[in-house]
Amino acid sequence: MPVVTLNLKRLEKLVGGKTCKSKIIESLPFLGLDIEEEAKDYIRVEYSPNRPDYATDVGIASGLQGLLGLKKGAEKLDIKKSAKSALIETNAATKKVRPHICGIIAKGGRLDDETIKQLIALQEDLHFGVGRRRKKASVGIHDLDKISLPLSYTVASRAHKFVPLAMNNEMSVEQILEKMDVGHDYGHLLKNQENAKKNTISFPPIINSALTTVSAKTKNLLVEVTGTDKNATEDTLAVVATTLHGLGSMLYDFKTDAKGSSQIFKTRSVTLDPVLVNQILGLKLAPSAICNHLKKCRLDAVPRGKKIICNIPRFRFDVFGPMDLVEEIALGYGIQNLTTSLPASTSVGQKNPVTKKLDQLSQIMTGLGFTETLNSSLTSKRVLYEATKRDSSGLIEVLESKSQEHTILRDSILPGLLENLSRNIHESYPQKLFETGTVFSKGSPIKESISLACLSAHKDTSFTEIKAALQSLLKTDSNIECSTKASENPIFAQGKTADVIVAGKKVGVIGEINLQVIENFKIRVPVSGFEIILSDFVLQG
Amino acid sequence: MSQVLHPIEKTIIKLLKTAPDLAEEQIAEKTGLSIDQTRRGIEWLRLKSLATVSESEKSFVKLGANGIKAKQEGLPERKLLNLIASQPAPFSDLQKKLAGEINVAIANAKKNDWITIQKGETENIVSLKQNPGQTREEKMISYIAENKVAVDQIKDSATLESIKRRPDFLVIETTKSRTVSLSEQAKTIDTEKEDTGAIDVEADVPRVYAARTHPLKDTIDEIREVFVSLGFSEVMGNLAQPSFWNFDALFTPQDHPAREMQDTFYIKGKAAEKFASPTQIKRVSDSHKKGWKYDWNVDAAKKMVLRTHTTCVTIKYLAENKPDEARIFSLGRVFRNEKLSYKHLVEFNQVEGIVVGKNVSLRDLMGIQTEFYKKMGLYKIKFWPTFFPYTEPSLQTMVYNERLGKWVELFGMGIFRPEVTKPFGITRPVLAWGGGIERIAMLKYGLDDVREFYNNNLSWLRTASKCQ
Repeated sequence: MPVVTLNLKRLEKLVGGKTCKSKIIESLPFLGLDIEEEAKDYIRVEYSPNRPDYATDVGIASGLQGLLGLKKGAEKLDIKKSAKSALIETNAATKKVRPHICGIIAKGGRLDDETIKQLIALQEDLHFGVGRRRKKASVGIHDLDKISLPLSYTVASRAHKFVPLAMNNEMSVEQILEKMDVGHDYGHLLKNQENAKKNTISFPPIINSALTTVSAKTKNLLVEVTGTDKNATEDTLAVVATTLHGLGSMLYDFKTDAKGSSQIFKTRSVTLDPVLVNQILGLKLAPSAICNHLKKCRLDAVPRGKKIICNIPRFRFDVFGPMDLVEEIALGYGIQNLTTSLPASTSVGQKNPVTKKLDQLSQIMTGLGFTETLNSSLTSKRVLYEATKRDSSGLIEVLESKSQEHTILRDSILPGLLENLSRNIHESYPQKLFETGTVFSKGSPIKESISLACLSAHKDTSFTEIKAALQSLLKTDSNIECSTKASENPIFAQGKTADVIVAGKKVGVIGEINLQVIENFKIRVPVSGFEIILSDFVLQG
Repeated sequence: MSQVLHPIEKTIIKLLKTAPDLAEEQIAEKTGLSIDQTRRGIEWLRLKSLATVSESEKSFVKLGANGIKAKQEGLPERKLLNLIASQPAPFSDLQKKLAGEINVAIANAKKNDWITIQKGETENIVSLKQNPGQTREEKMISYIAENKVAVDQIKDSATLESIKRRPDFLVIETTKSRTVSLSEQAKTIDTEKEDTGAIDVEADVPRVYAARTHPLKDTIDEIREVFVSLGFSEVMGNLAQPSFWNFDALFTPQDHPAREMQDTFYIKGKAAEKFASPTQIKRVSDSHKKGWKYDWNVDAAKKMVLRTHTTCVTIKYLAENKPDEARIFSLGRVFRNEKLSYKHLVEFNQVEGIVVGKNVSLRDLMGIQTEFYKKMGLYKIKFWPTFFPYTEPSLQTMVYNERLGKWVELFGMGIFRPEVTKPFGITRPVLAWGGGIERIAMLKYGLDDVREFYNNNLSWLRTASKCQ
């Protein structure tokens, strides 16, 4: 989840109404912001990715103002008309590669270093979230006064040159793609635009030009958003525009071809039934109270007949329908004000039969002197196959694991137990371990079975000891008689291993562990053990 | 009540009554007990205040290589005297016979005024002036002999010093020793009294470890019991799931970052063929198209993943059974493609509870939570709003951790979004909550590193106990 650092003094000022620091800190979690770190002059909070407007203190201040009752209802975005030349012309070529573009002009406002830092963070967050790593949408924020309008949005050749952001020299598109990190990260998304005087201002979604770099001296901004998804492109612009409005900038229309941008910021209305609200929240709120709570969440709402009409600003694309508004009402009401209740129930609970069976088997295993271990289902080739000499033809792999020790799914529990013994050679013996859990094998598409395995490690262990334990386990648990039929298995010593047979069917393996395997795990005492697939017999039916 | 003494203790007391203040080694030697038995016995006596142990350093002296040689053959000057006892001898003869020792021999004999050296025709002649009896040095060398003698037992320290000056004659060893003395009470104990057959029931015994279930399993079981006692029944499902149930059914768009390989384990080359009914697939597809405005792709839904939550099990259960009323829970392993750290595992346990009912509300969900935590022994809780992709409204529980002195986040909860329930024909509100179990177990066992649960370190498994 993304995190934003908030300067408390600045936030206090933005919230206004003489709200003290402690009140702010106390209220933040009730906006849905998790406090990550609290220091004397700043606080770091985590916000949810569906509320990118919380990437800046302006957005958070607006939320706090509502919650604290200082300002209610939605902020109205007043988009002023601008000169005819405030225009971006597109051409057919861009339609194929990155078809959508829109923009807005923002004049004046509080553009200090801290604000610029936050705008950049907002931009990155939008790129990652709504923009899906700049694929669906990417934002460029430029110094308007360095640009001569109108702009044109077009494709350029790989040889086309301009000075990219934060660089001193001209580079070609080709060089940018090959030499700069952004080229590597986003080069696969591609394409380009220019301005009227043939100065390049941006090469979306890769990088902007150095020419229009924004600094604390910048007075007026041009924001352009390009993308492959119309909704994402416009949603993104709405978040940036709302944030700039919050910073006190005056917004001016910026047209794409002949179309104005102000229609992008139209609100949409959602009809809400108070019955649903009260059912879900377990409250008895009057429609007027519901409207009030929505207004505290900076939304506009009015009762109409038995329903409520709520107007959703464009940047609140996290609102899908009435249920999202129910949550807003809960926030406006205050989660801390919701008392708990207990629903009546006559249902009788029970554990799953598999769980019960496993509990019973675990009890018997501990009674037989075995201590339970827990290993991951994901393991490594080394443990599962190489060190144990087992057949790896049934290997099931996961893709791109970040951990080398967790790359394949186990088809047996025994290797993990050997690894456990290997890590405990300095502890006192005898060491007797068991584990129950899921093992995986090929099927359609994958077969999962529940298995039980155990190992006994001490100087006098033997096939006899472990077979006695196996027979006792099955007899005590389910009155099952089992036999052992000589077989071969590379993890066990030759001549000291068998298949476990129940009702004429193989359900597991048993034996003394092969000396080479013991050595591979650097264990210094003999080991014997068994593994039985519970799903094949005791868990059936 | 008279004190019951172990035979080892009796043996030690008996000895110390006759020879007070002995070192442990001496006690072992004189009683014939092994050093371990002796030490154990002394420790028992000490705990019963029958003996005191004082640690001290003690120096011992024994003969070095040259000392041993002198003991066998005599000091160099003695050898010289023997050679000239009957008649004077020329220097070169003596040099041949005494070899390397000639200089020391001449110097010492001359210093003691035992010999005279006269100029002869060709060389110096050495003759006996007086033959002394056994010297102090010779006495001490034969006294030390093969033994190790405590330095403080040697009274003639001047002679010891003079022998020390001879290279390699003596070796001094300093050892730390523990001297044991009896307390006044112990001195009165009659060790000869007849054995009543009583044993020392207060003495320490060796440790044994009970075979046991894994501590995390115990916490899991405790959670299961709580759910069952609240009227919930357990449902189970596979660990490997088609993306459809893990993501699509829960309204997670197909281009959502959580579905990328860097967060989720995809199983190589595995796709599910039959995973849901055509109607279910169609409706989920429509829900995505309407809500997220993109073309939903059935192939992406087929890809097999290791489940990232247990919600795939509960939604499938709800889709298949469409209950009007239900209290169910599912519990088990879930997977995330994460880097291992003290707070992240690639595989951990999650539990999830579900309530379906006609009139169930968010306040009920909070009430059930409160009840659940109470039964788990956690009383100080509060709720904060949060965001989950498939519930609306969503909350999280914060629990006060006394040990850390701060609020920690535990279970998340919410009501399933209509976009999730509608496609499966579920019309009543579905309350859901859940979270990682290791987090709770960490609180219970006072662990700061979640990996500890899967290290299978026997010393921990054998001794772990709850702290909360």
